[in-house]
Amino acid sequence: MTTQVYAQGRTRNQAGRKGLLVTPERCTACRGCQTACKEWNHLLAEKTVNWGTYENPPDLTSNLYNKIRFVEVTGNKDIDWLFISRRCVHCGDAGCMEICPSPGALYRTREGIVAYDRDKCIGCKLCQAGCPFDIPRYDADDRVTKCHLCDDRVPHGLEPACSKVCPTDAIRYGDWQSLIAQAKEEGYQTVYGEKDLAGLGILYAFKEKPEYYGFDSTPGIPASVAFWKGVLKPLSLLGLGASVGAALVHYVTIGPKEDEESEGGAA
Amino acid sequence: MMKMVQKATPWERFNHWVLLLSFFVLTLTGLGFLYNSLSWINTAFGGVHLARGIHNWAGIIFAASLVLTMANYLGESLKFGSDDFAWLGQLGGYLSGREAPPQGKLNAGQKLFYLLVLVAGLVICASGLILWMGAAQGTMQLVHLLHNLAFLILVIVVPFHVYAATALNPGTFRIMTRGTVPLKWAKKHHPKWVKELGLE
Repeated sequence: MTTQVYAQGRTRNQAGRKGLLVTPERCTACRGCQTACKEWNHLLAEKTVNWGTYENPPDLTSNLYNKIRFVEVTGNKDIDWLFISRRCVHCGDAGCMEICPSPGALYRTREGIVAYDRDKCIGCKLCQAGCPFDIPRYDADDRVTKCHLCDDRVPHGLEPACSKVCPTDAIRYGDWQSLIAQAKEEGYQTVYGEKDLAGLGILYAFKEKPEYYGFDSTPGIPASVAFWKGVLKPLSLLGLGASVGAALVHYVTIGPKEDEESEGGAA
Repeated sequence: MMKMVQKATPWERFNHWVLLLSFFVLTLTGLGFLYNSLSWINTAFGGVHLARGIHNWAGIIFAASLVLTMANYLGESLKFGSDDFAWLGQLGGYLSGREAPPQGKLNAGQKLFYLLVLVAGLVICASGLILWMGAAQGTMQLVHLLHNLAFLILVIVVPFHVYAATALNPGTFRIMTRGTVPLKWAKKHHPKWVKELGLE
């Protein structure tokens, strides 16, 4: 990896942040982004079957970091056929990074990318438990894989492979803050990913409510992970320290139970 | 020569040392995984990959050892009488310096400690095994929480146990090394047990 570890925690400085703006209305489902991603990352094709939709493969895998979801919304006068890029959204406050027990296996780059170092991944799969979007997948070596927003291109001034090939600007790359401004200029009142989780690196310009596109309207770090991080984790070292401290204080103040008559023999 | 009574058999002592050492290794590597600032512990264990293997396999040893302790301590720990409640009520006299109510082979503190360790230990082993094997997201979230909750209980109670068995009660640690205690000591600390043995 050529990128530097910028931080382990939350994105605080949005100024230098890079991101993608995904606009489903512009997508023609050509899936050039899926293919370009595979090409750049040297990912193998997968054998697929006809499962009643053009959407394939059916789910993200360790060989598929970005896929176009096909969503048919019926019940309106017309059928709405939506095409949406699904991949790691590079949360500003990333559950995977919070829960990961191997420092540096998941890290944040200067551009706000949630990147990973395969050599440091220990295959524990806790990042899957911490992810609000069910993204990380494990490869045959039991190492984490996911979209890394081309962290081997972006720091060198190149845009990610997916946005580079997108012929309709359904995926646009740029400064995170400018992308939000751009979406608003184009008439998208709410940009998905602007506020939640300290901002998502992948922004979605939705016309309808997020649920319409199959997104959670209030994404957050799973409650159990938030509780663990906020309460159990700090309490663990505190509890250990308090317990050892209390024993020491007892020893030097109240003191041990000396058995005058039997101590000599027992020692 | 002073008359001695056997409090712990060689097997009991051996198993307790296995439990102690595996717990020590598990706690150290666990702290290394829990806090980024303590990850140097796992570096000392040969790197984070090796530390994970050591943690998991030490967990298997700890689990086996813990299950085997049940034969030695569980029956005794479940016998809770009025003397035990009275003992707990005055915290064994460790704060007041008062004489504690007469105790059996294990005192009420030891019984309560054992039950806590057994429950927390079984939870930490079961959740650890599921974390190791992998499960659905919701299950992983739950067992991850339980694993750390049990850890919290253990790191709070174990230091008191170590203190009580060493500096707090001089002479007690001999049970871990030789397994025997002077009859006089036994009469003072575990009078009901001595009576049971018919040595009074």
